[in-house]
Amino acid sequence: MKILRMAWRNLWRNGRRTLVTVAAMTLALWSMVLYTSLMEGMLSSMETTLLDVELGEIQVHADGYRERPSIWERIEDPDALLQALDETGLRSTARLLGGALVASGDVSTGALLKGLRPERDALVSEVHLRLDRGEWLDPADAKGVVLGYRLARTLAVEVGDELVALSQATDGSMANDLFRVRGVLQSLSEETDRATVFLLEDEFRNFFALEDGAHRVIVRSSEGQDLAAAAGLVEQAAATSAPGVEVRSWRDLLPGLANVFDSAQAAVQVVAFVVYVVIAILILNAMLTAVFERIREFGVLKAIGVSPRRVLALILVEGALQSALAIGIGLVASLPALWFVTTRGIDVGGLGGTAIMGVAMDQIWTGAVSPLTIAGPVFILLFVAGVALLFPAIKAARINPIEAIHHQ
Amino acid sequence: MDAQPIIALRDVTKVYRQGSVDVHALRGLTMDVEAGEFTAICGPSGSGKTTMLNLIGALDAMTSGSIALEGRELASLNKKQLSELRRDRIGFVFQAYNLMPVLTAYENAEMVLWVQGVDAATRRERVMGLLEQVGLKGMENRRPSELSGGQQQRVAIARAIASNPAVVLADEPTANVDSETAETLLDLMEELNREQGVTFVFSTHDPQVMERARRVVRLVDGRVASDERR
Repeated sequence: MKILRMAWRNLWRNGRRTLVTVAAMTLALWSMVLYTSLMEGMLSSMETTLLDVELGEIQVHADGYRERPSIWERIEDPDALLQALDETGLRSTARLLGGALVASGDVSTGALLKGLRPERDALVSEVHLRLDRGEWLDPADAKGVVLGYRLARTLAVEVGDELVALSQATDGSMANDLFRVRGVLQSLSEETDRATVFLLEDEFRNFFALEDGAHRVIVRSSEGQDLAAAAGLVEQAAATSAPGVEVRSWRDLLPGLANVFDSAQAAVQVVAFVVYVVIAILILNAMLTAVFERIREFGVLKAIGVSPRRVLALILVEGALQSALAIGIGLVASLPALWFVTTRGIDVGGLGGTAIMGVAMDQIWTGAVSPLTIAGPVFILLFVAGVALLFPAIKAARINPIEAIHHQ
Repeated sequence: MDAQPIIALRDVTKVYRQGSVDVHALRGLTMDVEAGEFTAICGPSGSGKTTMLNLIGALDAMTSGSIALEGRELASLNKKQLSELRRDRIGFVFQAYNLMPVLTAYENAEMVLWVQGVDAATRRERVMGLLEQVGLKGMENRRPSELSGGQQQRVAIARAIASNPAVVLADEPTANVDSETAETLLDLMEELNREQGVTFVFSTHDPQVMERARRVVRLVDGRVASDERR
């Protein structure tokens, strides 16, 4: 109790220095909580875009399709596979994929046509919710298509405009048709933005003269389900219903991005650590100065029999009090900032669509809050402050009483 | 058979190394201090007064010889034991008072008792009595900056005797106060010595202290030049 009282009073002997130190620690904590929240928000948003909108957790293709995508390489009976997957409780949808030249007016470009059944696809993918303008596919509007964000810009088309598609059908004939732009997507990923056209499955089949099969089955695992376990279920379902297919989790499909997600949290901690090292130097300087100024007092304490352990504790408690002040103020100050970034977010639309490894960020960059948002920065602050305090504390504890008492 | 002295110094030497030069602060010093003595160690600057007090106070290590406090040989004790010895058996009064500026008079005076682990009620009873005894009743809650030099030294004396030490070592205790205050401080220490049997050993230049001391040991060049008992 006396150590706590002494430590508290010692802090206010040089109130300005204490306030500057606490202010720096507070600012560091505040900014790190906010940074962590924004990073978590960005990763969460990217993961949502990646899994909920684009990939799903698991994909099934015909053997060899991924190495050499071709309209002829397809899962022969996707409905049997979808039914088998339904029986396992996993949500799934089939998509058809084919390359084509799309044109509007004088402009043309290559595109990937994706055929789907809107009702079934909506169980698996949130792409239908990510419209920038217009409307999603509707079976009542057979010729309606939905374009990626940049593709629409490249072709200079808007909702309601006509679009010509040209390709080679599976029967060797020239495939061509006239479609109408029904909707334009938000920025989602490099591939979707730049070159994707969504259309109804039946229209895809008509266009490519493709009677059966599908090129991709997208599968969603249940909330909290282990990815490997879900992939195992898919493999079991495929073994009987669709032999000759390849089952891959999104981690196998995009190992680079999986690594980004895995290491992102560590990257946040590293940045926090670097910021705090600067703060540690400030704490070290402040506490060394404080020890130097009070060197005679430590000498007297040692002389009258106060143990080195207690002297060490005195310095550590002073640092702990400063840290506690900074944490208290920093967390209270973080609340409105966290409220803002989680509810309102930061509009990054002006950047024209920011993507990381091909996965687009949302236009409104919102933060996320988890226990780690608070605990991570607080824990690192305490650790760094503790390390910074050790040197002055040990120095004070090991002071030679005679030299200290006669210190001028 | 004579009673064992509280302090026994035998052929004590202390050599400091300053650069490449050896400075002999004490050169074979031998003397005893009995319980209840009121002893002044005097001598010119550099004669070894403070060095001697530092060695008796277990704050420094001698180069050779032996020092025993209540029969315990200091050289045989480790750092922790020396720290406990200082805490339990030695009181210190410094020239510059050396109170903790963030603590009140009461808190400064109880410091040693707190370090000893004495319970709060016992500390309070003891320290309030001591502060009254040293003439600081009503000033318990003042910080050192709110006290005069003489009052601060009284708090330091209260701190030094709070744990009933075997000896109080006072390094020039009147050097920083005027002669009138010095007189009252000496009155106080003499009273504590006479009525409570507290053993005092001073290092001093102050003629007032030497006049009041019942034993004056004069050091010259690290040796006892004279030892006068009154």
